[in-house]
Amino acid sequence: MKAEIKLALTMGLLGGVVVFLFGGWSVTVLGILIGVFMGLSIGGRVNKKDGPRKLALQSLSTAGIAAVVFIAVSLFQNYVVAPAGGQFPSELYIVIPANLIGGLGMILFTALTAALHGLPDRQERLGKLILMVVLVIAFPFIDRITGLHWSGQIIFALIFVILGLGLNIVVGFAGLLDFGYAAFFAIGAYTTGILSSPQHHIFMNFWLVIWIALGMAALWGLILGTPTLRLRGDYLAIVTLGCGEMMPIIFRNLTNVTIKEPLTCWIIPGIMRLFNSSAATKCITIIDNLDLTAGEKGINPIGRPYLPFIGEFQSNNPIPWYFLIILLILLSVFLIRRLRDGRLGRAWMACREDQDAAVQMGIDPVHTKLTAFALGAAFSGFAGAFYAAYIRGIFPSVFEFSTSIIVLCIVVLGGMGNINGVILGGIIIMGADRLFLPALKDLLKGLMDHTILPALASNHTLQAVVAQNANPILYRYLLFGLTLVIMMALRPEGIIPSAQIRAELHADEETSAVEKAVKN
Amino acid sequence: MKSFFRRFMRPIIAILVIYLVFLLGPIAGLDFPIIVGRIQESPKMLVQFLIIGLANGAIVAIIALGYTMVYGIIELINFAHGDVYMIGVFTALSTLSVTGALTTNNPVHLVLGIVAALVVAMIVCASLNVAIERLAYRRLRNAPRLAALISAIGMSFIVENIGLIWAAQSWLVPSFGTTGGGAQKSFPDLLSKIMISLNLDPNLLASTGLGLRFTIKDLLVIVLASILMIGLRFFIQNTRLGKAMRATAQNRDAAKMMGINIDRVISITFLIGGGLAGAAGLMAGLYNNTAWWFMGFRVGIQAFTAAVLGGIGNITGAMLGGFLIGLLAAFSDGYMDARWTNLWVFAVLVLILIFRPTGLLGEQVGEKA
Repeated sequence: MKAEIKLALTMGLLGGVVVFLFGGWSVTVLGILIGVFMGLSIGGRVNKKDGPRKLALQSLSTAGIAAVVFIAVSLFQNYVVAPAGGQFPSELYIVIPANLIGGLGMILFTALTAALHGLPDRQERLGKLILMVVLVIAFPFIDRITGLHWSGQIIFALIFVILGLGLNIVVGFAGLLDFGYAAFFAIGAYTTGILSSPQHHIFMNFWLVIWIALGMAALWGLILGTPTLRLRGDYLAIVTLGCGEMMPIIFRNLTNVTIKEPLTCWIIPGIMRLFNSSAATKCITIIDNLDLTAGEKGINPIGRPYLPFIGEFQSNNPIPWYFLIILLILLSVFLIRRLRDGRLGRAWMACREDQDAAVQMGIDPVHTKLTAFALGAAFSGFAGAFYAAYIRGIFPSVFEFSTSIIVLCIVVLGGMGNINGVILGGIIIMGADRLFLPALKDLLKGLMDHTILPALASNHTLQAVVAQNANPILYRYLLFGLTLVIMMALRPEGIIPSAQIRAELHADEETSAVEKAVKN
Repeated sequence: MKSFFRRFMRPIIAILVIYLVFLLGPIAGLDFPIIVGRIQESPKMLVQFLIIGLANGAIVAIIALGYTMVYGIIELINFAHGDVYMIGVFTALSTLSVTGALTTNNPVHLVLGIVAALVVAMIVCASLNVAIERLAYRRLRNAPRLAALISAIGMSFIVENIGLIWAAQSWLVPSFGTTGGGAQKSFPDLLSKIMISLNLDPNLLASTGLGLRFTIKDLLVIVLASILMIGLRFFIQNTRLGKAMRATAQNRDAAKMMGINIDRVISITFLIGGGLAGAAGLMAGLYNNTAWWFMGFRVGIQAFTAAVLGGIGNITGAMLGGFLIGLLAAFSDGYMDARWTNLWVFAVLVLILIFRPTGLLGEQVGEKA
């Protein structure tokens, strides 16, 4: 019972914090989402024999508490925080239905999801699947009706989910630490940019380019992976970092590429000069002053996908983009699951656990690691192509070290080696980065301008210092850094751990438990 | 057929690689005819780049010592080390600003300000480095290496963010017209100012008539770096603590059995590394005259490259590697193309790690992995 109240309070407050930042209709969306989460988490520890009806009734108390907390926070936001931030509170005809639907939705969905756990296994899985599909499909429409405009940012989060899924193959499955993953993202994006933009007057169809981008990223995964195979763990990490850092430098500076055939241009003339011969050879120029990547200006505009009935995807309508990226994620998850459970996936994990033992079992480590690198890179090709088309322009600064580390953050936070964990991690990290921090910034700015700064008017220095530093965007890197350090210190296996990684990371605790048992 | 391949594979690959370097190198500035042309044009510049390379290399070497000592003792790449150096730059700048050395023209005041900045930067960076070890690395000492490395990256981000916020504080860091913490801040050229206020020419070689620039800045950086390096070498070779450090690096468990307090020795290693990074921060600020929250990352990579180049864990190697990397960067800036300099540093890092991971002078790390 105590655990349930704790859960209800955490979930209610968690949702409340988000509502705190966005206000308005976010109550409804959050209520339903948190209901589902709560149902899943209650359902995970109940007695299956109780049956769906009893489970639903059991969960009602928890859901009720959470809903009350949640609505209380929402009302507090609307009538206390918003006026303090200089905004008008929402009108009653929005507040009442939004909170009612949000609270009831939370209770309903908690009960529904909890009840699913009481069904037989097969039906339970089917039920969860249907619930997820309905939520995922409904999200952009709800988002549009309620005017929250989260879809655009959620699409970014989903791009990073694909990146996380790809990196998860390398880091999670194969245990190779890769600090330069953004390089493959860059290759995917630049392939798309070069093949479908006015930069080189090539306008290939997006549906073709996305596969070429995938192939290019995989190819570069192979090329960069080959020399790194015989390195130890941390040296491998540094080499990938080096390669990853070279990519943005290369893309930034490939603005006037000239390639001259060296034999005819220098070597033969040089030898001629040694012998004081003045016979001139013709210098063969292969490429003359080609602007491949347009440097810091970036490549734009990049062609967008086109579908019959829908037409060309537009930037002001996120819905087709949303479904496209969902489709890509589903495809990636499907492929990665098949890979993980197949022969190759088991070979990756065997190599991760103990390479020597794996070799003894007849696994070829070179092949195993190379495929991990190439396939991991391939998925970032997907992400890169989508990103380039979605943004319509690509710039070298997007693909720097911090991007690699954000993707690593996603994998580490979600749980190395766990697909669901990585998806959750991606949505949490990018949601925090793209939605939460900007909203927090706006909220703080409103509060600063209307309440806090006037209160500090007597002390000008303090006022200036507070005004300067009250911008949460400034603390972005701190957030990522803290995520990594805290996760490593407290829960290195991530939010949703994969069983093997947990066992590996807590190996010493296990042995000490065994020792204790032996002593007793 | 097989024997044919075995015999000729290597030379064929070598020729192919050389051809590719000639073919593609010019894109990244490695254009031999142009380089040779530039060297012939003014051989004097070679000496000039040598001076710049030595001074920058000295700074890189000092930072590399921090990497190599930590790696030698706990086999961890302390990613945050480059950022600790960045904090050193800002500490020095803030100390100079607070003591009023930035605005005065009195040479004594200036010298005292610089000495104060050196001391404060060394203390702040040393404490920061020790704190980082205590907070982020100590509990992961027996965890898989991956975990410690990820934690180190996280710590690097945290310290970078501290630098970003620090740079935005206009009462600590004089803005000189720049706005916000993200911009590069200027670090005034105080050494030349001292010379000018004493009616001396900052360029020590001006009277030779060769047109070379060897300023008081170059002299100070090279001398200070040499003092620090010699001092460190003496400390490690000739004191009890240095002996304990070497013993810990060689075999942690055996050292523990000999009664060495491992935690303390590791803390002291971080302390010394941080102090050196702080000194490097002041030197870099005075020499390159910029302070930027992101400068630690690039210099950190250069320094780590230097440490690996010299042989990780090897103190002498780190110094040698630092000077080599400094020379490479200066040469690339001068004769090739400054845009591509970082690429060449990374290329050296990658190539060294792949083909000779023990470095030039051989690595010195313990038996325990």
